[in-house]
Amino acid sequence: MNPNLIPALDPAGLPGPPWLFHVLLVFTFFLHMLFMNLTLGGTLLAAVAHFGGGGRREDPRGALAGRLMAVNSYGISLTITTGIAPLLFIQVLYQPYFYTATILIAGAWLAMLLLLTLGYYSAYVYKFRGAPARGEGGGLWLVASAVMFLLIAMVHVAVHLLHSQPERWADFASGAACVLTDPTYFPRLLHFVLAGIGFAGLVAAWWAVRQARAGAEVELNTAIASYTWKWVLWATVLQVVDGFVLLLLLPRPLLIGFMQGGAATMIPLTLAILLGIGLLVMIARVTNPVASPGVVSGTLWAMVLTIAVMSITRHQLRVLSLAPATTLSEPVVAPQWFNFSLWVVLLLAGLATVGCMVRRVLTSPASGADAA
Amino acid sequence: MGYPIWDLAIGGSLLMALVAIPHVIVSHFAIGGGLLIALTETLAVKRGDPELRGLAKRSSLMLILVSTVFGAISGVGIWVVAGLVSPGAISALIHTYVWGWAIEWVFFVLEIVAALVYYTTWDKISKGAHLLVGWLYFVAAYLSLVIINGIITFMLTPGRWLETGAFWDGFFNPTYWPSLALRTGLCLMMAAAFMVFPAMRAAAAHRVRLVRYLGWWFAAGALVSYAGYRWWEAALPDSVHALFRGATPKLATLAATRHFALWSLATALALAVIILLLRPRLARPVTAAVLAVAAFAFFGGYERLREGVRKPFLIHSHMFSNGLRVAEIADVNQRGVLAAAGWAGQAAAADPADTGRQVFRAQCASCHTLDGYQSIRKALPSVADALAVAADDPAGSGARAYREQCTACHPDVSYQDMKGMLPSADEIRGDPGMIRDLNQGMIAAAVVKLRAMGEVYLAADRTTMIDTSPLHSPYMPPLVGTEEEAEALVAYLASLADGREPRMAMKGGE
Repeated sequence: MNPNLIPALDPAGLPGPPWLFHVLLVFTFFLHMLFMNLTLGGTLLAAVAHFGGGGRREDPRGALAGRLMAVNSYGISLTITTGIAPLLFIQVLYQPYFYTATILIAGAWLAMLLLLTLGYYSAYVYKFRGAPARGEGGGLWLVASAVMFLLIAMVHVAVHLLHSQPERWADFASGAACVLTDPTYFPRLLHFVLAGIGFAGLVAAWWAVRQARAGAEVELNTAIASYTWKWVLWATVLQVVDGFVLLLLLPRPLLIGFMQGGAATMIPLTLAILLGIGLLVMIARVTNPVASPGVVSGTLWAMVLTIAVMSITRHQLRVLSLAPATTLSEPVVAPQWFNFSLWVVLLLAGLATVGCMVRRVLTSPASGADAA
Repeated sequence: MGYPIWDLAIGGSLLMALVAIPHVIVSHFAIGGGLLIALTETLAVKRGDPELRGLAKRSSLMLILVSTVFGAISGVGIWVVAGLVSPGAISALIHTYVWGWAIEWVFFVLEIVAALVYYTTWDKISKGAHLLVGWLYFVAAYLSLVIINGIITFMLTPGRWLETGAFWDGFFNPTYWPSLALRTGLCLMMAAAFMVFPAMRAAAAHRVRLVRYLGWWFAAGALVSYAGYRWWEAALPDSVHALFRGATPKLATLAATRHFALWSLATALALAVIILLLRPRLARPVTAAVLAVAAFAFFGGYERLREGVRKPFLIHSHMFSNGLRVAEIADVNQRGVLAAAGWAGQAAAADPADTGRQVFRAQCASCHTLDGYQSIRKALPSVADALAVAADDPAGSGARAYREQCTACHPDVSYQDMKGMLPSADEIRGDPGMIRDLNQGMIAAAVVKLRAMGEVYLAADRTTMIDTSPLHSPYMPPLVGTEEEAEALVAYLASLADGREPRMAMKGGE
């Protein structure tokens, strides 16, 4: 590693202890992952379902595509919104590494904005001009949206690999595209894509099961639940395999670091593996999701927990990977406790306001002249 | 300075403008739209006015499509671009104001959720609940402006932060309140300008009434903006005024930008009075677009001015536009700029002949491209320039060339005097190397002056805003680094100008 290539830490220092920013980075990244999975996986699944159903809304697969994209027209906004917080905290914590990585693939990083805009508006075009609005068609918009989001995932995986490997920066300087040849690049990408498909499929199945159990469009919802359940199953099978492949492909020092990390690193990793296998068992046991609403809900919660634990493991891998560089210089810490406290109070007040607003909306249904 | 350098043909500042200006227009619409839409729906409910309700509803679709999509993406885009072209500056801002940004994020989450709920629940929930959501949206959106305004204004007028380094001293800085007033007016203008389009889709019998209603808001926004702008100007220190105000502003282009912005505002107000208030039937897509463009021109002009008068700083009196901190000058002079800029230093170490170019990339490339925006090549003297001045063929072209190419550095020398000092055109053609040497000497002299500015900054009181107006180039950072690096830079710059055509020819001639 060439320490001259690592920019100096910001002299302003960290406005809080490092552990606080580690916690905030992981937690907000986890929140972002929930919506990101819906956006990426939901759009991919919607594209497949749309064409599988002949591009028609009447087909259960077409209806599924419409549902997923109805969620996504809001979910994409929330993906961006929840992505802002981890983007903020990673800049505080890993400023020299993160900025360097993005500059090394500046064109692609900048192109992300265009991809996001095109992907977002394509999703809207499908919603307003495609099968959900007109009964059929619009599949190309859906494919365009899915491709854009997939490309964004590729950019993010590249930035992650670049920023966590400063020892390879000198190689990347001559052409950062060689990050694609990193043996873990595609398994990492696949890990995100499969998680997205699995999570979006599970959310769609969970909703369909709820609807069917409530007696709403039972036949349609049963068909959607069965269809998505198969996707959840196979995505999870492949995810477990890919997870082990990724583990084996990790550089040996990182694996040793994990082992030597004791309970702090081994518990999340072990839990993640057990949860992955446990999810597989839970999903495989269900042949008719509508008949097993409890298992479906339990599977959904287990997957949320898995995403949370995997977010921790992913962060620990980054910490270990960057350890040779980060131990070269300690950041100055200049806590702003009052401002942090103010943020916590406002965050709680904001979440409470969102809760009250949603509750008020849900308890104020109206129609005709009484409606807004 | 220690980051890799992205060689961007159009230049980092132009890229930032391309992302930031559309963002601020849309984001101010999102805030002002929140107020006008909630207010319009409230009036519609109180008066039982379906046309006003229709205006609010149609506008809310625009709010979703424009603000929650484009606004959110371009907002992230500003961070993305800043991280690519000015990583040191965005890092300094984030490390100082991370909790400010985190607070803004809370309001942004509330704003986005409220916007989505508001649009989705038309015709589905009670009027009271819907109004509550609309007003919550506006409050959250405005509070996000209240926060981000502190960070933006801090960059130009950090105030007592320079002395104390305290968060709130920088946040509530001298231009905080004027800027908030100005931006509040802009929010109203942007909202009214956008909402005229959905208003024109109302039934013909009600169109005039709705357009006039928006006209009052536009006019109010324009007047508040003007008052805010004047207040903002008055809050700026004299050292900043010297750059763009008075009989001999240091930066004539910024003085022109100020005129452009104020005339745009006057035009927008006049158009609004005519098109929206006096003759609402003139409100057509074309005239509404012209009105919006005039309003955008004022806004864009103001933003350009705000960014421009901050020169040569990103954070006034703390960090220069190339990422160099004022406090670093002595250290970088001693160690060398290539030691401080690791990536450029690495490249220079691998190829010593490339040292001058790497010094340029590390210190100058944040503002100057080679041949694009703020082209350095065009700013340098060339043999062709000297020939154009000396030849004066056709008659009069020499004086024009001199005016265009030389007076920026030789304001006290007349064309005739310069022509008298220069060799004849034939002599230049016969021995161009002589002019090359002369040009290199001129470049070296400029570099010496830029280096000398560093001493002024070193001696300055850094607990208050530094007065840059007496400096040789008040809008440029000082040149730092070792003597050898400066010499390498001079040789590189001289090589750039070799073979360049006269500037007038590059513009297409006369």
